[in-house]
Amino acid sequence: MIEIKDLHKSYKMGSNSLHVLKGINFSAEEGELVAIMGSSGSGKSTLLNILGMLDGADSGEYNLDNVPIRDLNETKAAQYRNKFLGFIFQSFNLINYKSALENVALPLYYQKVNRKVRQEKALKYLEQVGLKDWATHLPSELSGGQKQRVAIARAMAAEPKVLLADEPTGALDSTTSYEVMDLIQKINDAGNTILVVTHEEDIAHMCKRIVHLKDGVIVEDKKIEQVRAAQYV
Amino acid sequence: MFDRDIWQEIFNTIKKNKLRTFLTGFSVGWAIFILVMLLASVNGMENGFVGQFNDDATNTIFIRPGVTSKAYAGFEAGRRIQLENDDLEYIRQSFPDDIEYISGRYFTNTTARYKSETGAYPVQGVHPEFQIIEKTIVISGRYFNETDFTNKAKVAVIGKKVAEDLFDKEDPIGQFAELNGLPFRVIGVFTDEGDDNAERRIYAPLSTYQRIYGNTNNINQIALTYNPNYDLTKALDFSQRLEILMKRRQKVDPEDQSGINVWNYAEAFDNISSFTTVLKAIGIVVAFLILIAGIVGIGNIMVFTIKERTKEFGVRKALGARPKQIVNLVLLESTFITTLSGFVGLLFAWVILALVGPTIETPAFSNPSVRSSTVITATIILIIAGVLAGLLPAIKAANVKPIVALSDK
Ligand SMILES: Nc1ncnc2c1ncn2[C@@H]1O[C@H](COP(=O)(O)OP(=O)(O)OP(=O)(O)O)[C@@H](O)[C@H]1O
Ligand SMILES: [Mg+2]
Repeated sequence: MIEIKDLHKSYKMGSNSLHVLKGINFSAEEGELVAIMGSSGSGKSTLLNILGMLDGADSGEYNLDNVPIRDLNETKAAQYRNKFLGFIFQSFNLINYKSALENVALPLYYQKVNRKVRQEKALKYLEQVGLKDWATHLPSELSGGQKQRVAIARAMAAEPKVLLADEPTGALDSTTSYEVMDLIQKINDAGNTILVVTHEEDIAHMCKRIVHLKDGVIVEDKKIEQVRAAQYV
Repeated sequence: MFDRDIWQEIFNTIKKNKLRTFLTGFSVGWAIFILVMLLASVNGMENGFVGQFNDDATNTIFIRPGVTSKAYAGFEAGRRIQLENDDLEYIRQSFPDDIEYISGRYFTNTTARYKSETGAYPVQGVHPEFQIIEKTIVISGRYFNETDFTNKAKVAVIGKKVAEDLFDKEDPIGQFAELNGLPFRVIGVFTDEGDDNAERRIYAPLSTYQRIYGNTNNINQIALTYNPNYDLTKALDFSQRLEILMKRRQKVDPEDQSGINVWNYAEAFDNISSFTTVLKAIGIVVAFLILIAGIVGIGNIMVFTIKERTKEFGVRKALGARPKQIVNLVLLESTFITTLSGFVGLLFAWVILALVGPTIETPAFSNPSVRSSTVITATIILIIAGVLAGLLPAIKAANVKPIVALSDK
């Protein structure tokens, strides 16, 4: 599903240049649930953003669902993102003047799904994350956990091939975090490929594989026994 | 553009961002409102001036001889020009198509007496046609006619005030009044609205006065009206031709305005129209500045709005919005608000003008109104400018990498 080879990325800051990713080789099969760990500043978000085509790499190869991703302009990137990828952010990034339902329906709008189908699908995904009754509420009327669940529903609505989550539980307390992870596990159970960036060991162990990043390279990559979040909920 | 979803998006955004919408809309609506009111005021002033002029506007030209101020054709400066009957006939025959009515004027003063009453009045010896040129309204009796003129009859048409002074309650028609000791039969009384002095005047046939004053052919002034179908240009052209002809005939330097003066009402009108043209130009310049202020206002709000929405655009892009869709969203929204509020401002101004405009009727200001084409042009300019003001920041925002837009700054 995902295949990257010798990926390099550096940020230019004035005359200095900060080499963040120094040759990443990584691949993930369909249906995997991968945790990406590493200390702060190790380049986790950078890697995820490149995978999400929110940012470009300096060099290296990237194949997503056997489509080589290169020479991206903004329009092309937008099309790929819309088709292949769902995002879950630490700070939710819901559009604050749109209701939960409208937020979830938005990626479908950009997929040119017609309005009625959009509403139905959005409601279906809201129901899946247990927020059907909150459909008409604005993000400001929701708790952090609820917001993240709306964001997950939104990421799912587009039915992406890969879900990318950058510290999805970073802004949540542990109980809420487990609820969110429970949701992510269920989505993964349904066959979706998911990459989760996290700092927290317990969250990482709820995935099926942990990748450790250090100084811009992968230092460890292991399959683990998944801890189910449901038991903590 | 006519995609229902986009409009749904836009209405949604507008509904949820009332203050922003109001601010943008207000700056546009206000600019258009002021603009319309300003143009209408200028128009009102113009109407006032033109109206005032038209009140006593006539198609009259006066040819007034004077003293030459320049040596010309062997004559020295300081020569007195004297018009005579020949001149009048010459003019009449030279411009048969241009001239409507023509009359000589001979000015003198008289002591008038009827029974025991006496008074001093100006007398004008004129042709019968002068009644029409001067628009003299005869309230009783009649004006003198061609026969009176040919016969050099001693008849007089007296002003209402003269009649009151001399005849008191008696009917003056048919009575004889002595003018400088000569008996004149009063055949008519005339009035002149609003001008008491004009009613203290006496008209008599020019021919009669020329005989009384030593059998001369002298005329003090020639008054004429030209073809009433002439517009300003034609009228000015005619008085030009007339002046050239008269100056050549009297051997007056073409540049010498004091030798012979041809005075045309149309010239006064020309001055007024150039004055209102200047006024209009000022109005348009100010209106243009207001438009610029409005545009800067929109631009400001657009820049602010787009900055505020950068993160939202980042989210939209992460969800698959193409840059073009972001630009469209911003532009359609701003165009929609600009257009709508532009027309609201327009409507307000129009309603006020329609209600108040016709009731304003003063000499300097009357019926302020604007041509709809002017206003619609201005509105369209404002809309286009609004779009352009939003375009650059929108394009910039739409092309920001989503990662930059999403990062918490
Ligand atoms: N846009 C940028 N411009 C310059 N430097 C950047 C930029 N984004 C990230 N960096 C730098 O690159 C390095 C890696 O950043 P990144 O966000 O990938 O780290 P991270 O592993 O996600 O850290 P954290 O756990 O704190 O989120 C950091 O040193 C960071 O300062
Ligand atoms: Mg990070």
